[in-house]
Amino acid sequence: MKCKRKLVSMISVLLVLLLFPTFSALAAEPILIGSPLATAFLYGWDAEKAIKLAVEEINAAGGVKVGDEKRPFKVEVIDTRDLEPGVPVSEALLAVEKLIIEKKVPFLVGGPVRSEAALAAMPLIAKHKVVSILTTGALSPKYHEMVEQNPDKFKYLFRISGEAKWMVVGELIPCLQQIQKDFNLNRLFIMVQDVAHARNGGGILAKVMPTKGWTVLGDPVVFPTGATDFSMALLKAKKENAEVIIIWMDMPESAILLRQWHDMKVPALPFGTIIAAAEQPGFWKATDGKGEYCLANVVNAGNAPSKATPWTMKFVDAYEKKYGLEPEGYGTSSSYMAVYVLKDAIERAGSLDPDKVVDALKKTDLMGVYGRIRFNPKNNQVIPSLDPEEGAVGTVFQWQAGKRVVVFPPKIATGEILLPPWMKKKE
Amino acid sequence: MEIIIYGIINSVTLALMALGFTLVYGVSRLPNFAHGALYVLTGYVAWMLMYRVGLYYPIAMVLSLIITGLVGAAMYQFVLVRIRGMAISEIIASYAIGLAILEGLRWGGLKGGTITLPPFVDGSIELIGVSVDYQRLIVVLIGVLLVGLLWLFVNRTKLGLALKGMAQDERAAMTLGIDSDYMAVVAMALGSVLAGIAALVLFPLGSIVVESGYNVLIMAVAVCIVGGLGSWNGAILAAFIIGFAQILTQVYLGAHYQVVVALVAIIVTLISRPSGLFGRQKELEERV
Repeated sequence: MKCKRKLVSMISVLLVLLLFPTFSALAAEPILIGSPLATAFLYGWDAEKAIKLAVEEINAAGGVKVGDEKRPFKVEVIDTRDLEPGVPVSEALLAVEKLIIEKKVPFLVGGPVRSEAALAAMPLIAKHKVVSILTTGALSPKYHEMVEQNPDKFKYLFRISGEAKWMVVGELIPCLQQIQKDFNLNRLFIMVQDVAHARNGGGILAKVMPTKGWTVLGDPVVFPTGATDFSMALLKAKKENAEVIIIWMDMPESAILLRQWHDMKVPALPFGTIIAAAEQPGFWKATDGKGEYCLANVVNAGNAPSKATPWTMKFVDAYEKKYGLEPEGYGTSSSYMAVYVLKDAIERAGSLDPDKVVDALKKTDLMGVYGRIRFNPKNNQVIPSLDPEEGAVGTVFQWQAGKRVVVFPPKIATGEILLPPWMKKKE
Repeated sequence: MEIIIYGIINSVTLALMALGFTLVYGVSRLPNFAHGALYVLTGYVAWMLMYRVGLYYPIAMVLSLIITGLVGAAMYQFVLVRIRGMAISEIIASYAIGLAILEGLRWGGLKGGTITLPPFVDGSIELIGVSVDYQRLIVVLIGVLLVGLLWLFVNRTKLGLALKGMAQDERAAMTLGIDSDYMAVVAMALGSVLAGIAALVLFPLGSIVVESGYNVLIMAVAVCIVGGLGSWNGAILAAFIIGFAQILTQVYLGAHYQVVVALVAIIVTLISRPSGLFGRQKELEERV
């Protein structure tokens, strides 16, 4: 009896000792993270889920060490609505302002999601000296170019996800070259959404691809946000014997485009540089499998299962365990990683002082979910690479038999690109 | 040739979207701004009945139409009847109901464009050298069939004639013993079912998203203003004008200019002929 009581006491003491750091961290004043996100859209809700997952993991492990104190993170999410058609940029600015002034957040992780809104929010965030890590949506190169042009003013602004210029030059073009080499395809048709990053990206491609041995069939066809019929453009692509269709659209209606492509049996490989609908695990069901063979760039590894780093599948599994599905869109792994990067920077700075945290962020060197995370000291943009040992690595996958199979970059590929059966391989 | 084929498909699509709206306005002079919400609701209910409850597609379709019809009738019976005749209040109340339905669906998890209805017939066909999927041909077929059936209903049935009488002159119809409120309930239910039919035929071409509710409302209003509020013939003619204008704009100017076509059509109509092509509402004032 005595022995039993002793055992119970020992277990109780052990439990208290084990849980003490967590309790003490949770008891301490939380560090607020503001997340301005378009929560009704993929690039908003995926980021929200990922941020909350990271915060939960960090808090469960004891929190963030600020000097001698352990403090938990707390997330304040606000809907920016910036991906909704017709909603003015000012809505997103008001949301950011509310987080900063009313909620008094010292850190922002997430959006604004739309490039136009993210660019417009830069002076506001800088004015309040709030450290911001952009993790989702906004791909416009102008973001880090503005930081580079005015480093003192915008030193608080970082971006941990990809940007359009690298995606085109560093990933899309090499991937297209590989397609050209493997299948002898060289006629390109470009369809983009009427938003800044897509227009810019499409424009760059239209200029660059002819110099790489491709025939670009006319100017990019621009569709308004919310368009639901793409048949005329697809007919044009078919008529002009397009072999690859580049799609750059972050609207959910891009699923319609792929259904139409399948129904019309357009003999061209659809390649979504950004294609919100096809990124999601639920896409297969949503198109009854009609989206098979569609290639999609999900910007960073970890947004589809792969073994880019030891952390990649750990993250994918944790996300799946918590939310019941694989990471969904291109803002997922970067949003998750941003919280860990912020934690790392705060701990190294030993303070919440924005200038000290900025200095620490600039010195970040962390092997994360999608490779080595470092920021370019000139413009605070995460350094990209095709090798996860060197930098933040991207992911292009193809839908094959209901699965997202990573096909590019070769270092992390888990399969090879396939052509739809109604496309003959050219000799 | 693709301009003609896809112009017809686009026009019939617009006509389908607008028929319910114009029917309700024509009979009860009630601008039903919840029209787009009823459209999305039908698609979502059909999807739920099919994939969550496990009903057969045709049964799910019929049940979803019945539910939408009842929702439309209830909207009139419990809300709109109290403000009948006050145009601004009718617009605000019906829009508020629509907003509540759409944003309620979004709040309930309808986001991301990951759900859809299956096409009636899968696959495509070459039509005079132009590739068209069967579902689009079915859209045209159902659109034409629906217009024909509506014509028969309105001109050959007692209930239809009563509705027609209400549309022509409500007071005169009442003196002949036609119950105006009952007719308005019937019109609302029928208009809602028409929005539902459009949804069931058009959603298999894309995804069930909340935003399509707003788009359908805008297109329905545009078609009705250009055609003349409450005029069925006008609505069909306007659908063809806007439908072909959209396709021509897409081909010759660029797809992103397509969205302004309907809005330009509204502006031009309001400036040159405020009552629309077949409308009679302001004809007298116009003449004066």
